[in-house]
Amino acid sequence: MSRRSRTLRRAAVGYGLLAPSLIGIGLFLIVPVLVAVAVSFESWNIISPPKWLGPENYLSVLTDPDVWHSFLVTAQYTLLVIPTQTLLGLGLAVLLSKRLPGTPVFRVIFALPWICAPLTLGVVWKWVFAPTGGLLNAIIGTRIEWLTSFALALPAVSFVSVWTQTGYVALFYLAGLSGVPSDIQDAARVDGAGEIGVFWRITMPLLRPTTFFVLATSIISSFQVFDTVYAMTGGGPGAPGRTDVIAHRIFSLAFEDLDLGKASALSVVLMVGLIVVTVLQQVYFRRRITYEVAG
Amino acid sequence: MAAIRPVTRSRNPAQRVGTVVFAYAVLIFGAVIIVTPFLLSFATALKTPEQFSNTSTLSLPSPVTWQNFAELFGPEHNFISPIAVTVQMTVVILVVQLSCSILAAHAFARISFPGRDVIFWAYLATMMIPAVTTIVPLYGMFTAAGLRNTFWALVLPTMFGSPYAIFLLREYFRSVPDDLEAAARIDGCGTLRVLWYVVIPYSRPIIATLTVITVVSHWNNFLWPRVITSGPDWAVLTVATAGLQSQYNGNWTLVMAATSIALMPLIVIYLIFQRQIVNSISIGGFK
Repeated sequence: MSRRSRTLRRAAVGYGLLAPSLIGIGLFLIVPVLVAVAVSFESWNIISPPKWLGPENYLSVLTDPDVWHSFLVTAQYTLLVIPTQTLLGLGLAVLLSKRLPGTPVFRVIFALPWICAPLTLGVVWKWVFAPTGGLLNAIIGTRIEWLTSFALALPAVSFVSVWTQTGYVALFYLAGLSGVPSDIQDAARVDGAGEIGVFWRITMPLLRPTTFFVLATSIISSFQVFDTVYAMTGGGPGAPGRTDVIAHRIFSLAFEDLDLGKASALSVVLMVGLIVVTVLQQVYFRRRITYEVAG
Repeated sequence: MAAIRPVTRSRNPAQRVGTVVFAYAVLIFGAVIIVTPFLLSFATALKTPEQFSNTSTLSLPSPVTWQNFAELFGPEHNFISPIAVTVQMTVVILVVQLSCSILAAHAFARISFPGRDVIFWAYLATMMIPAVTTIVPLYGMFTAAGLRNTFWALVLPTMFGSPYAIFLLREYFRSVPDDLEAAARIDGCGTLRVLWYVVIPYSRPIIATLTVITVVSHWNNFLWPRVITSGPDWAVLTVATAGLQSQYNGNWTLVMAATSIALMPLIVIYLIFQRQIVNSISIGGFK
């Protein structure tokens, strides 16, 4: 066989193997993004055909106080959830890494919420927070309206996210901790460092890649939170809703207000924001790794 | 995994005991907080509505009743249907998506052809697209194609391969020793038989991990099924549970029976395959 025909054959086999995924990813991921960008410049309510509008949807998104409110709510949610779950997850991982008897059982229990549907867990927690017949009020002997209270709704939703994700964060830190070489820690102890000193000066810096990965992925997913909010509060209470996160705003714009153009514009803004976060994370990560190799 | 030495090993015995007691106290407290909503929501599902409103929420069901479950599976709610739809959807997506992803990953990992790397980077880039961004255009596309509220609408968007699965598989396939493939080639195997007899058997661990990731994420999926289906015919478990909750708000014994049914299959699978799944979580970091 000539070299040329072999190259052709390999290309044919390669593209043959790629064909299903090229169709799937092209048609159901890449085309939709292009359609979203196109629709974001149009006025469309699903019923009548789309009409060209220009940048009006973007202006409307950027001047809509409800949209800004949603960004604020999402940022508040992120600030409540991420530091809490990261610190708790790290703490649990340190305890689990002591390898006390029973550790595998705790690992399984802590990761349990992570495999459950956020929507279904949200419904369970709606019951936990219910003013009458709810679990939490029964335990502390009150009749607080947790999820319809303006002050308590966002912390309650955030608590459920922390409850769901802390075990998952802990598993990541546990894997990270097992990669920390104990001879460095021992050397520090021989030099007279206390346990707390060893942890903050030696262990934590070595865990930086884990911390970075956990923070980056949880920021990206927390800006897309939807199911938990939908199940527990439906974006409420109040108008604009106290828990009306960005994904829920997009959902309401598209499927309640039937303003698909504006919903698309907001979803494109969200996508661009998240892509920037991901790219920054990659750039930072590359640079760190280069330092470590060089150093 | 390298052994981790106890942080407390050089301290005196009293301090050591204190640390162990503290560790267990925190771990048990955490475990109780995780487990309580599961157990007590199930206990609530085992009460009659009268029992539920007349006794404390914290009391155990006495007598235990399966009335809520019977009602749920009865003609009015017909919860068999969402279970069947969810199982069908998950199985179809799992089998087809995994097969297509394996084919693509094999091409990326073990065959060199022009355009390969560009396409691979394009696939990786699609992992940055948030689900909410594709929901609106997909809704429009499926409505235009007349596929709204059909089984195809549930499976088509994710069936033909997931960029994430392709990425994980490719990393693993690259580690298959070239000698194995060369030996199979000498024995006259073509690409597909090399894949079937060499690469796939070699890559069982990552395929098991991906099976877990795919089943869990599609069983739990909500936003897309919620948007593209309506009415009871193609409602999946999450959609049916949400619908029941909003329709029977306050009827907690019935709603908790629904959440128990929705959660039970994955929890049982989780408990059976706990070690593999816990490890998969820290490998895959799946969502």
